[in-house]
Amino acid sequence: MSGQLSADIVVIGAGIVGALAAERLARQGASVLILEAGPRLERARIVVAFRNSAFKGNWMAPYPPSPWAPHPIYVPKDNGYLVQAGPYPYPAEYIRAVGGTTWHWAAQAWRLVPNDVRIKSLYGVGVDWPLSYEELDPWYQEAEEILGVAGADNTGSPRLKPFPMEPVAEPWAMRRFRERLAPAYPVVANTVARNSRSYGGRPACVGNNSCQPICPINAQYLGINAVEAAETAGAKVVANAVAHRIEHDAKGRIAAVHYYDPDKGTHRVTGKTFILAANGIESPKLLLLSASDKYPDGLANSSGMVGRHLMDHPSTSLTFYADEELWLGRGPQSPSSINTLRDGAFRSRHAAYRLDFTNISQVLNVTNDLIKEGVYGPEFEKQLRWRAAHQVSVKNVLEVLPNPDNRITLSTEKDALGIPKPEAHYAIDDYTRQGAEVSKADFARIAELMGGTGLRYSADGQFANNQHITGTMSMGNDPATSVVDAFGRSHDHENLFICGTGVMPTAATMNSTLTAIALALRTAEHIMPAKTAHGIAAPADGEASLA
Amino acid sequence: MNASTRCLPLLALLGLLVSASANATDPATDAALLQRGQYLATAGDCVACHTAPGGKPYAGGLAVPTPIGNIIATNITPSKTAGIGNYTKQQFSDAVRKGIRADGKHLYPAMPYTAYAQVTDADVQALYAYFMHGVAPVERKPPPTRLPFPFNFRWYMAVWNGLFLDRKPFTPDPGKSADWNRGAYLVRGLTHCSTCHTPRNLLMAEESSRELAGGAAGPWLAPNITADANSGIGGWSEADLVAYMKLGHAAGRAQAAGPMAEAVDNSLQYLSTSDLQAIAIYLKAVPARHDPADTQPIDSWGAAFDGMAGQRGTALPDDANQWSGAQLYDAHCATCHQAKGEGSFDGGLPPLFHNTATGRTDADNLVLVILEGIRWTDASGVHMPGFAHELSDRQVATLANYLTQHYGNPSAKISAEQVKLLRAGGAPSYLVALARWAMAVVALLVLVIVVLWVRRRRRRTSPAQG
Repeated sequence: MSGQLSADIVVIGAGIVGALAAERLARQGASVLILEAGPRLERARIVVAFRNSAFKGNWMAPYPPSPWAPHPIYVPKDNGYLVQAGPYPYPAEYIRAVGGTTWHWAAQAWRLVPNDVRIKSLYGVGVDWPLSYEELDPWYQEAEEILGVAGADNTGSPRLKPFPMEPVAEPWAMRRFRERLAPAYPVVANTVARNSRSYGGRPACVGNNSCQPICPINAQYLGINAVEAAETAGAKVVANAVAHRIEHDAKGRIAAVHYYDPDKGTHRVTGKTFILAANGIESPKLLLLSASDKYPDGLANSSGMVGRHLMDHPSTSLTFYADEELWLGRGPQSPSSINTLRDGAFRSRHAAYRLDFTNISQVLNVTNDLIKEGVYGPEFEKQLRWRAAHQVSVKNVLEVLPNPDNRITLSTEKDALGIPKPEAHYAIDDYTRQGAEVSKADFARIAELMGGTGLRYSADGQFANNQHITGTMSMGNDPATSVVDAFGRSHDHENLFICGTGVMPTAATMNSTLTAIALALRTAEHIMPAKTAHGIAAPADGEASLA
Repeated sequence: MNASTRCLPLLALLGLLVSASANATDPATDAALLQRGQYLATAGDCVACHTAPGGKPYAGGLAVPTPIGNIIATNITPSKTAGIGNYTKQQFSDAVRKGIRADGKHLYPAMPYTAYAQVTDADVQALYAYFMHGVAPVERKPPPTRLPFPFNFRWYMAVWNGLFLDRKPFTPDPGKSADWNRGAYLVRGLTHCSTCHTPRNLLMAEESSRELAGGAAGPWLAPNITADANSGIGGWSEADLVAYMKLGHAAGRAQAAGPMAEAVDNSLQYLSTSDLQAIAIYLKAVPARHDPADTQPIDSWGAAFDGMAGQRGTALPDDANQWSGAQLYDAHCATCHQAKGEGSFDGGLPPLFHNTATGRTDADNLVLVILEGIRWTDASGVHMPGFAHELSDRQVATLANYLTQHYGNPSAKISAEQVKLLRAGGAPSYLVALARWAMAVVALLVLVIVVLWVRRRRRRTSPAQG
């Protein structure tokens, strides 16, 4: 055994959620150590890798997995890391690196709608959350002020204080959607952590339209910003530290985390309080890996619910040609959506959903289509120009209900360090499929209002995945049916807290990151109450400039 | 015409009477006087030095780097204990225009009193009113300035002032236009352009014969802003100059960075268009000073160039110091300045060619802007991110050479050592050592003279030996 590390707080996972919890605790004076399985990345290398990539539409291409901390890759072929047990494929993508998966997110920073936390009481489906929307509001606000979030006021999510900034200028295509779909569908700005003005020492968006896989100028808030803020606050980050076992003492308290370095050298990290924040797949994997004589089913798993209730947001879509030139690709990739279908009595029967418009440049897709169709010469250029100007796409973001059979387990296959790979068991139920069916009518109406031709619905029964891994360590008041309490504390281990989208008991209809951050900040406050008011983590712009 | 505008001339007259009597009681006049004082304080950019990062306005505490060491800006709020609340108008005037504190001691010329000496009595009166009544007192005294020997003695400054301080306030030149005179008054006085833009002699005094021919602000080059077409701003229109001072950039020419960005951010952008116009008129009439190295206008170099296409399919070297200029440009610059260095269609993200940033033979400012970026304190914030924390000295040198080679003046050459020096704040000053040496030499000379004199005396007074 080499190396002995110790800290008041040991955080496993240097993603946006773990890092922001770490930052808040470090600012309270705690010694904080963050263990990250993956390597430290540099934005410059990612930018160049993206520009040099032959797979521009593959947002994992600039993030090759490290041999010691692999993550799932599907293009050009499945690397087999996330083992698929079926019956429906669950091709989740995430990044194991310092900064985590938000390296290539679209900065969607949504709140729940208030009824999302009471769907059992109101609609008889899913479960209720152990806390109310009103309790979450100030934590959402704190998160939004750290990230620099902007959005519309009519997305269904009430707020006590205003957003810290105005949205980025509305792209032309989104303006035309808004104008032509009114009043049938109100198209509003998405709630995003993207600077419309200089904020937190970061510049305003200049519209590179490459939010995924990388914002080249740091205009959208990324996990790496959270990591750097945590380091500024005094936290220490150990990269390439692959946690493979959490150790408990005789009383069931967590005593240490064991990790491998890339050469499989072993290290033991002790601490007073432990925060597991390694995402909705890797966190339950680590809990299951940590089984002992006292806890044969893994840690924090007396309920048997660790890894279960896996949820995400499946999407179906419609692609068509609008009857006017819209030229997707100017401004951010995902600027606008329709939010009126996120809640309603129908939720007792079928999934709620958001309707989201892509603003990703269509040049690549259209080029591939034309090559496939065998179009060439002057006709190719003419078609390319016309289609790139007119092609648009709308997708739904469907709610999935918690189902214990949808789950992450340990595979019998092992990775290069000999650690069992995660295995996904997944199915899409009738509730979600029914929601997809209902949304088809919306797709058709939207196409009609846009003068759409060449309508191409995604194939029946085919769902795209959205990488919003949720539910695998759900919070709840009952230790028999949930993994953590309303503050993220494990029911089984007093000094183990879990942060991340995995603690969300339901997935609702919005990207899950902001809710996970809000919950993590609340967890951090619960561990160590703040001495001073919190808000923007980075210095005000003026202060930074004179330093 | 409504009642209030009808009253304006009357108020102005009243203002004159009241200021003449120095017994202001009319609240309307006071408000106008304070407003005028605030405008003048903004023009003087007092806040730039007298406010610490993140600190209260005018509470001092900023360490102003000078070749002889850091000078700590004082609290100039009207606090009676920590600031200048006890200053009489005369004491205030002496501090601003003569560099003499209320206790009679001399200020160091980091305080640009050599320029402020030009300010008229009426404007000093307005400034005094503003600092006494328009600024919130801050009851906290910054630490005192401690300069190394021999500069810790302030009385030297009396000698220096005798040599270099022109104590006469500005007198208009009747042979010139009103605009020129207004511009001259501002440039030579409150906006103290010469403090940075006029070269200094060995004793750190401005060489008035080479007004605005180019000086320094810390490690930054303060360029020649005389009317020379190649070396200065002779090719700029008045509108270009006004835009530069108002917005921080003149399309197709230059952007303010470093201390000049601060000057625009804190001060110039708030000046009236007519004052900026007057400054432009004056600058365009400053006698041209030509540097023979400038064979064409600084903002005329370079052209669009795409060096990245050749990079496609080439793996990035693992050693970041081996990255080519094109690879560095791809990773850090192309995103905003575009593939060919052409910037955005509206010039909001500037082109890198036809840009003073890349057109100088001395590329120090280019290196510094790559390192530090451009940040304003106002809401506009980050105009350009800095790369000091991401790029090594070698990488900055490679990138800067790539930029001057393809988009700017190819005779500019940047070394990693130069970047290292600039990253550390510029070349060290030898003034302190020089002064100590000079004093030692003088002391030695004095000693030799004394010895010789004593020996001669002794020879004279000793009895003759036969």
